[in-house]
Amino acid sequence: MVVGGGIAGVQAALDLTELGYYVYLVEKSAAIGGAMAQLDKTFPTNDCSL
Amino acid sequence: MRPRYIDADKCTACGLCTKYCPKHLVDQYNEGLAVTRPIHIDYAQAVPATYFIDPEACLYLKHGTCQICVCTCQSKAIDFSQKATEKELQIGAVIMAPGFGRVPDATLAKYSYGLHPDVMTSLEFERLLCASGPFEGEVKCLSDRRHPKRIAFIQCVGSRDLGCNNGYCSSVCCMYAIKEAMVAKEHDPEVEITIYYMDMRTQGKGFDAAQKKAEAMGIKFVRARVADVMPWDKNLKLTYSTLDGTHSFEPYDIVVLSVGLDAPADAKNLGEIAGFALNDYDFCKTETFAPLLTTKPGVFVAGAFQGPKDIPESVTQSSAAAGLAAGLIAKDRGKALVHKTYPKEQKTGKDEEVRIGVFVCHCGINISSVVDVAAVEQYTEGMEGVVYHAQSLYSCSQDAQEVLKAKIKEHNLNRVVIAACSPRTHEPLFQETLKDAGLNRCLFEMVNIRDHCSWVHANEPAAATQKSKDLVRMGVAKARHIQPLPEQTVPVTAKALVLGGGVAGLTAALTLAEQGFHTTVVEKEATLGGHLQHLAYTLQGDTVSTVLGELTDTVKKSKLIEVLTNTELTQVSGFVGNFSSVLTTTKGKKATETTLDHGVIIIATGGREHRPEVVLGNPVKYSETVVTQRELEQRLSGKGKNLAPKSVVMVQCAGSRGDDLNYCSKVCCNHAVKNALKIKALDPAAQVVVLYRDMRTYGFAEDAYRQAREQGVVFIPYTMDNSPKFKSSGKKMSITFFDPILRDEVTMTPEVLALSVGIVADGTENLSKLLKIPVNEDKFFLEAHVKLRPVELPVSGIYVCGLAHSPKPVEEIIVQAQAAAAKAAMPLGKGFVSVEPTISCVDKEACIGCGLCESLCPYQSIRIIKDENGKRKAETITASCKGCGICASHCPVFAISMGGYTDEQINAQITAFGAQ
Amino acid sequence: MSQKDFNPKILGFLCNWCCYAAADSAGVSRYQYPPNLRTIRVMCTGRLDPAFVLRGFAEGADAIFSGG
Repeated sequence: MVVGGGIAGVQAALDLTELGYYVYLVEKSAAIGGAMAQLDKTFPTNDCSL
Repeated sequence: MRPRYIDADKCTACGLCTKYCPKHLVDQYNEGLAVTRPIHIDYAQAVPATYFIDPEACLYLKHGTCQICVCTCQSKAIDFSQKATEKELQIGAVIMAPGFGRVPDATLAKYSYGLHPDVMTSLEFERLLCASGPFEGEVKCLSDRRHPKRIAFIQCVGSRDLGCNNGYCSSVCCMYAIKEAMVAKEHDPEVEITIYYMDMRTQGKGFDAAQKKAEAMGIKFVRARVADVMPWDKNLKLTYSTLDGTHSFEPYDIVVLSVGLDAPADAKNLGEIAGFALNDYDFCKTETFAPLLTTKPGVFVAGAFQGPKDIPESVTQSSAAAGLAAGLIAKDRGKALVHKTYPKEQKTGKDEEVRIGVFVCHCGINISSVVDVAAVEQYTEGMEGVVYHAQSLYSCSQDAQEVLKAKIKEHNLNRVVIAACSPRTHEPLFQETLKDAGLNRCLFEMVNIRDHCSWVHANEPAAATQKSKDLVRMGVAKARHIQPLPEQTVPVTAKALVLGGGVAGLTAALTLAEQGFHTTVVEKEATLGGHLQHLAYTLQGDTVSTVLGELTDTVKKSKLIEVLTNTELTQVSGFVGNFSSVLTTTKGKKATETTLDHGVIIIATGGREHRPEVVLGNPVKYSETVVTQRELEQRLSGKGKNLAPKSVVMVQCAGSRGDDLNYCSKVCCNHAVKNALKIKALDPAAQVVVLYRDMRTYGFAEDAYRQAREQGVVFIPYTMDNSPKFKSSGKKMSITFFDPILRDEVTMTPEVLALSVGIVADGTENLSKLLKIPVNEDKFFLEAHVKLRPVELPVSGIYVCGLAHSPKPVEEIIVQAQAAAAKAAMPLGKGFVSVEPTISCVDKEACIGCGLCESLCPYQSIRIIKDENGKRKAETITASCKGCGICASHCPVFAISMGGYTDEQINAQITAFGAQ
Repeated sequence: MSQKDFNPKILGFLCNWCCYAAADSAGVSRYQYPPNLRTIRVMCTGRLDPAFVLRGFAEGADAIFSGG
C-alpha cells in the first residue's frame, strides 16, 4: 500500500507494479499528482511540470 | 473511501456539469486565485479524468436543492446515492508518501501577507505564471490587475526560522525562486526582479549553472535579511538589512514569499495510526544509513515527508522504497497480479482484401457541437477499402467497445479507424478492444478531431468539419497500408553486474540480493568501501567504520553476491537483458579475464577528492598545516593527544564553483560544519573560522550549522571578486580576507588551514566510451531524464548511482543505490523485456551495410553485423529501439522501415492530404 | 491574390512525444488557432525523410510544418 498520490507516491506505486506486486495507492483528494500538478515549470530545465 | 458522487465509468470529462453548476467555489488548485464550481475537476489533465462534487459546497448535498447537473449530464454519470465506504486490506508493506504541508499564514503575516493582495506565496505566483492559471499566464498584480514593474522574492520564509519552529532548510525554495523569476522575466523582459536571500543553496546537479543564467538575464541577488513588508501607497515597501548593518528600503509591485515545506498537517496522526516516530520537526524519523526505514518495520517512507526535497530526489526515494518493499515481500512476487487472456489473433495476410471500419465520435457535444459528425461519417462512404462506417456518442464508453467488437465480427473488419480524440490517451483502450476481437492491435488508426479540431476551431464549424474530413481521409489512406505487427519480447539473463564496491555498489548489490537476484560486484581496488573508507564519522554522529564493516560483511556473506576485487570492466557487448562483459582481474603482474553474462548494469564507480594546486588564485602545497577537510577529519578522529588544532581557518568552495571545477560538490559545507563541531567538542576554546560563499547546509543539516554558530564557530562570507589571499610565513600559512561586518581586511595565521575541496568524477570518460553513455560537461553521467528518470541512463538496462552521477552525501547515495537496484530489478524480475511494435526493421536484402544508421542512432539500437556471407548488414536491437525513425529517414537505400510509420503509410497520408 | 485572401494549406509532421502532445493540450486549454493545418503523427521528427517534405509540396502544400 502506498499512502499519498503525489509524485513520490505515484512513482513508488508504478515501480512496485513493475516489480511484480499488486499495489493500493491511497490519495485523500479527488486526483493524484499532488503539489507537482500545481507547478507550471520545473527547475532548471523549465520543462512543463504536468 | 469518500464518494465522488460521479460514476467514473460513465463520466467522459466533457465539462458540461461545471458549466451549468450555479454555485461558485474557491479554486484550491489555483491557490484560491480563481473560482470553480462544486462539481468540477481540478485541472484538465487530472487523473482520474473524472469530475467530482465537493459535498461541502454542493447545493443538493448541503441543502437538498438544485440537481441541475443530473439533467445536464448526457452520460448519466451523476450519482448522489454514493456513500463513503470503508475497506480493509491485507498488505505486506506500506510506503508513506504524504508529501509536505503548508507554512501557517501567521508566519507570513509580518510581510503583510493577507493584508495586501500583492504579497503572495511562491505557489500562488506559480499559478499566476501558468498558462492554465487564473490570468492565463499573464503576470498581473492581484490588487488592480496592473502589470508589475518590480518584483521581489523573499527567501527562507518559514524555513531556517526557529520563530516558527522550522529550524531546517527546505532545500527547494532557492531553485523555484530562480525558476519563477526566470519565467516571469521571459513573460516580460522589462520587469525588474530582486531575490533577497541568506545563502543561495543551488547545490544540485547543474543548479549553479541555472543561477548564473538567471544573473545573466538581469535578475538581481541581494544577500540581506528582510525586516518587513508594508503597504505603501499603491506599492509595497520592503525594508531589509545587509551584512554591513545598513538598513534600506525599496518599493515593489509584487512581493513573492518563498515559503518552505512544512511537515504534512496530518503527520502526527499518520505516525500514530501506522506506529512510526517523527523527528523534532514532525517529519518522519530516519537514520543516515537507513534513510527510508521508519521506526516501524515494514513501513517505508519516501518523498518530502522524509525531509524537504525536490522532485528528482523524491522520485529516487520512491523507486528505492519500492525496491525495499519488494525485497521484504519478495516471496509474494507476482502472486496477486491479474493476467488477462485474449482470443487467438486472426491472420491478416498481405494480400487479403482490406476491410476498413470507420467510427466517428460525437464525444457528447465536444465534437458534435462544432463538427458536423454525420457529414464526416457520410464522407467516408465509397472511400477505397471502407466497408463500414458509423457514429457513436462516446466511442470510448464501455458499451461502445462492445459495439465495436460486434461490428468487427459482423463486417469482418480488418482495419479500424476511429475519429475521436487523442491517440496519446485513448489508443491503448481501442487497441485492447481490437485484441479482444481477435485483431492485431496495430491494425488501428486514430484521427484526432477533438483536441486538434473541434476544440481549437470552436468558432469555425464549416472549416472544422472540412478539416475533420481531410484528417479522416488521411487516416483511412494510412489504414489501407497498415500491416499487423508481432508482439515482441526479448528474454533476460536474470543477473546483475554492479561496477564499483563503494557504499553505492554494495547497497545496490544487497538490495538486488534481497529481491533474490544474483549480482557480481566489481571493484578495481583491493578493498571494498570506496570513498567512505576515508571518513570517520558523520554529521549525525554515526561511526562510519562500524556501519561500513557491517555492510561489507553482509555483502560477503550473501550467497547471491559475488565480489571481484582488483577487477575492472574491459569489454562489454549486448543490450538490455543480454549483456556479455569481459572482466579483467589484476593480481600482481598477472591479469586474468573472465566473461560474464548478465541482464543489467549498475554503475557505482564513485568519485574522488579533488586536490587543486591553486585555490582562489593562491598556489597551494598540501602539508601538516594545509590540509583538506578529509585529512582534518582523519586527524580529529585519530588516537594521539592534541587532536584538535588551537586555531583553524576553513576555506569553502576551494577549487569549486567556478574556481577550478565549475560545480558545487554539495557535501563540503556539511563537512566543514561537521569538523568544526568536532574541534569544538574536543577543545571548546579552539578558534574556528569558516570563510564561505554560501553555506549550503540544506535540509536538517541546518541544525548543525546553527549549533556550530552557537558554539562560537565564526562564519564569514567572501565573494569571488574579493577572495581570501594566502601567504606562506615559515611553516605556517597566513590568510587575509575581507570581513564585511568590520568592513576591513583581517589577517590570521592559524595552526591549520583546511580547504573544503570538491569531488571529481573518476574514470567516467572511459566507461562512457565503453558503454556508449553520455557524460555531462563536468564528466558525471547524464541520466535519462533529470526529473523523472534520475537513476536510469539513456541506454536501456544501464543504471547509475552514487558519486558517478554527481557529488552528494552518503544518505542520498544510499537512496540512489537502492533506487538503481529497484529499477534494475524490473527486467530481471519479469524475465523478459517487451517491445512496442513501432520499432525499426531492416530489409537485409536491400541493406548495403554503409553504417550510417549505426552512427546516427541516439540509443545505440542499430548495429552492423556480418551476415553468413560475410557481408555488412544493419540489424535493429529490438530490446532498446525507441522507434524514433532517424535510421529510416536517413537510409540511402530505403532498407529500413518503421513499424506503424512506414514510408508507404506516410506517403499515402501525404497523397491523401493533397487529394481534396 | 491579396494577403487577406490567402488561405494556405499547411501539412504538419508532429512528434508524438512533444508537438503532438502540445497540440493536444492546446485543445484541452481551448486555444483557438486558424484551421489551416493537417497533421501526420510520427514517433519523432527524426523520422522525417526530406522526400516527405518534397512530396508534401508536390501534393499542393503551401507550407510544411515540422514540430518536434
